[in-house]
Amino acid sequence: MTPFTTRPKTRVLASALALGVVAVAGCSSSGSSSATTASSAKVPLVVYSAQGYDHAMTAAFQKATGIQVKLDDNSTGPLLTQIEASKNNPNWGLLWVDGATAFAGLDTQGLLLKGFEPKVSWNSLGTQSLPADKSYTPTGVTLMAALVYDKTKVTNPPTTWQQLLSSQWKGDVGMNDPSQSGPTFPFIAGMMNYLGGVSKGESYYSQLKANGLIIHPTNGPTLQALTSGQIKLALVQSSAGIGATFGPGSDPKLAVKYLNPVTLLPSAIGIDAKAPAAEQKEAEQFIDFVLSPAGQKVMQTGDPYGDSLYYPVLNGVNPLPELPSLASVKTQTINPYTWGPQEGTINTWFDANIVK
Amino acid sequence: MTITTEDASAPGPAAAGPGRRRPALSTWTTRLAPGRIAALAGKPIFWVLLILFILVPCASSLVLTISPHLFDQQAAGQGPQWFTLTYLRQAFTGTTAVAITNSLWVSGAAAALGLAVGFPIAWLANRTTLPGHRFVAGSMWLVLLLPSWLPALGWERIVQADGVMYRLGLDWPWVTHLIMGPFGVVMLLGLRSVPFTYLAVTAGLAGLGQEFEDAARVHGAGRAATLRLIWPMLAPAIWSALAINFAESISDFGVAATLAYNSNFSLATYQLYAAINNFPPSFPAASAMGVLLVAAVAIPLALQARALRGRSYQMLSGRTRQAVRRRLGSRGKAAALSGLALFYLVALGVPGFGAVSASLLGDYGGSFSITWANYQALFHQADQLGPLERSIGYGVVSASVTVVGGFIAAWLLAQRRQKSSRALDFMLLAAVALPSVVFGAGYIFAFNLPLWSRLGINLYQTATLLVIAYTASSLPTNARVLVGAVSQLQPSLRDAARTHGAGEMMAWARGVLPIVSRPLTMAWLLTFCGVFLELPLSQLLYAPSNPPASVAIQDNLSNYHFGEGMAQSVLAVAIAFAAVGLVLGGYRLLAPAGWRRIGAASRG
Repeated sequence: MTPFTTRPKTRVLASALALGVVAVAGCSSSGSSSATTASSAKVPLVVYSAQGYDHAMTAAFQKATGIQVKLDDNSTGPLLTQIEASKNNPNWGLLWVDGATAFAGLDTQGLLLKGFEPKVSWNSLGTQSLPADKSYTPTGVTLMAALVYDKTKVTNPPTTWQQLLSSQWKGDVGMNDPSQSGPTFPFIAGMMNYLGGVSKGESYYSQLKANGLIIHPTNGPTLQALTSGQIKLALVQSSAGIGATFGPGSDPKLAVKYLNPVTLLPSAIGIDAKAPAAEQKEAEQFIDFVLSPAGQKVMQTGDPYGDSLYYPVLNGVNPLPELPSLASVKTQTINPYTWGPQEGTINTWFDANIVK
Repeated sequence: MTITTEDASAPGPAAAGPGRRRPALSTWTTRLAPGRIAALAGKPIFWVLLILFILVPCASSLVLTISPHLFDQQAAGQGPQWFTLTYLRQAFTGTTAVAITNSLWVSGAAAALGLAVGFPIAWLANRTTLPGHRFVAGSMWLVLLLPSWLPALGWERIVQADGVMYRLGLDWPWVTHLIMGPFGVVMLLGLRSVPFTYLAVTAGLAGLGQEFEDAARVHGAGRAATLRLIWPMLAPAIWSALAINFAESISDFGVAATLAYNSNFSLATYQLYAAINNFPPSFPAASAMGVLLVAAVAIPLALQARALRGRSYQMLSGRTRQAVRRRLGSRGKAAALSGLALFYLVALGVPGFGAVSASLLGDYGGSFSITWANYQALFHQADQLGPLERSIGYGVVSASVTVVGGFIAAWLLAQRRQKSSRALDFMLLAAVALPSVVFGAGYIFAFNLPLWSRLGINLYQTATLLVIAYTASSLPTNARVLVGAVSQLQPSLRDAARTHGAGEMMAWARGVLPIVSRPLTMAWLLTFCGVFLELPLSQLLYAPSNPPASVAIQDNLSNYHFGEGMAQSVLAVAIAFAAVGLVLGGYRLLAPAGWRRIGAASRG
């Protein structure tokens, strides 16, 4: 027989559980309401960021302005997933990630506040990266992709993109997977842009695949494959490549080289179009602070072996000494509004034909 | 309130009305007693909570498969669609179809492997004089503690081209091909299933008294015949283990995103992740794959239902006798210890070596020079240890709530003849199979609706919702693990206590709790360990400025601080293992001797 006699006990336990959950929720609810009341003068600014120096930056901003900052420090993918999933009732104030294509995608959905431009003196990198509708603001530039190699093993590195297709480098080249590494789609799109279109770019990557291209998820594993000897040439984000050549935990045998042309990858900040006006104003203050001398100092010191290794977008701010000069490097900017909408289809093609 | 009831039978006020009304008043006041209200409302409230925190988020996410217009989540360029079968059709084509097929057969094989390895270990540890059997349970937790990507990375590090194996002069490309492929994926998922099997079978064995084996032996049965007698009695635990192994394997992301991915062996969870991680994310495509994964759970459930239909497995009673440990001969001991050592080497040794070495090497693993730089960096940055402390807190709260809910769910599941228990069974197992990233997205859809904000309830990106999500995602596994032990309980245990004058709660505490205390402790640890390093839900739902451990580790790994991330992982696993040791040690020291003796089968 089914032991129905035990049911009341189950019910009591269930009630205890229910009361517990309600109590937890109640505590939280009261906590948030009191927090809201306490900070009614200045609303908290919710910062979604994938930058290595964001902890340092938000702390400095909070100290300088007294504005409370809530930082969601995550990879670019989860941040964009959060924004898309919550777009009916967004909870973010500003987004700070690498790559203009993602911002163009958000802009075309009407999710970004347009028309804000800080009063700063842009250099040529900044001017190239600024969108016409001012829906996002560049804060620095890295390059995609930098060629990283072990100079003790590779004495004559390739000098052009076409040389990567030669048998000399068969099975020796590694790069990231665009479905896991945010900065990799701009690299793929950049090559397509340089070669003259999507189909020519697909042909190039197919040849690279036929020549033994090895795909790893992100910069870290690709660099690890390089140092372990699995590959000889790694195509990664410039800041990651340069960071791997110096400082603690690095490999000084590694060297970085740029092949012409290399694609600019702006890090940028966009403001939530649906955020309360007060929070939007605070977000604008945040951008002003980031681009101020104090903010640029924080950017250059907050993640010294990672994201701090960027090329500034402002006149009067010099890149860190570890960064190679761009004087002899040909750079290109891809139109994020042309390439951004193609990100899904190109990544799907890459995943099905190159990664597999 | 009890006084009110007693007063109602006293003379005085009762004279004001007809005599027949007095009992009615008494009945009402009795019914309104808090305990009574709780007892009456408990089960409905429990169901409401299950529906609210498990069914609604799952449904919110899965319904996008056919109605992408809901929550405004149509994919770019697809247009608003209230109803479409496009995404389901796409899931049956191309790389997605291959990935789903791979996931199905790999999960089946892993579930079987987990049972094949886990059952003998559980038997040896609980029913024989295996040397060191007391340490098996604790070490099993270490296997469970490791996030699945860690063993996968460890194995990759050993066998990959120019990996440790080759550097040590072992030029075995066949090993590389074997591990970096379907065999390696099944092996890792199968080994990860071993603790689930161990827990389920241990719980089943705990209720299997010596009298059954004695009866068989008295009637002349040999070892094989005795095993044939015992095996069907353990059917609930075995089927429970198979079902949970399958569901855990098919929803695993750690192996899918590392070893399987790097072996060009596509699994459904990775495809699903790619659909969500793409920009713009395609929630409908991901949900379509989620629907298929959930539907796949029907396979083990159907097999389980068919195997257990119409039978009762209640055999644990006040008369249950403790089992006697079988004495192993020297050959038996050697064979058992060798097998056990091999298991721990493959499941713990290799990944442990991989993780620890990665945390001690500075130059991205390029050489064998050892450095403490990663650990020094960890301890010199204040924001690196906070997430670990936070996750301990989340783990403790989630595990404590989950274990109560899991026990209730297991109790309801044990009522096999009710339709509601079958519905609950499917809902819980389906929730296990639903990848966490889809579950997390469902939480955003369901609990971040503008309606909630208008009501003043803002749960999204609060610790409360994160803990609720942890609890909801852990409860199904927890209930599945407990159901083996709970289904063996006979009502006579509680009735006996009631007969001797114990109240409702006291009868449960004295009659039932001692028997289930060990499974409950294990279930608590299972949840704690699962929550402590849980990643997909944490990434989507964590409260800004308060990252849990997994998010902080992932942040390091993806921001070029690979060594620091690995050091943080090693430290996290060490902390979690210390917590397990603390709980198991505390149980051993603080639980009454009778609690520890019952079900432990420790005599002999």
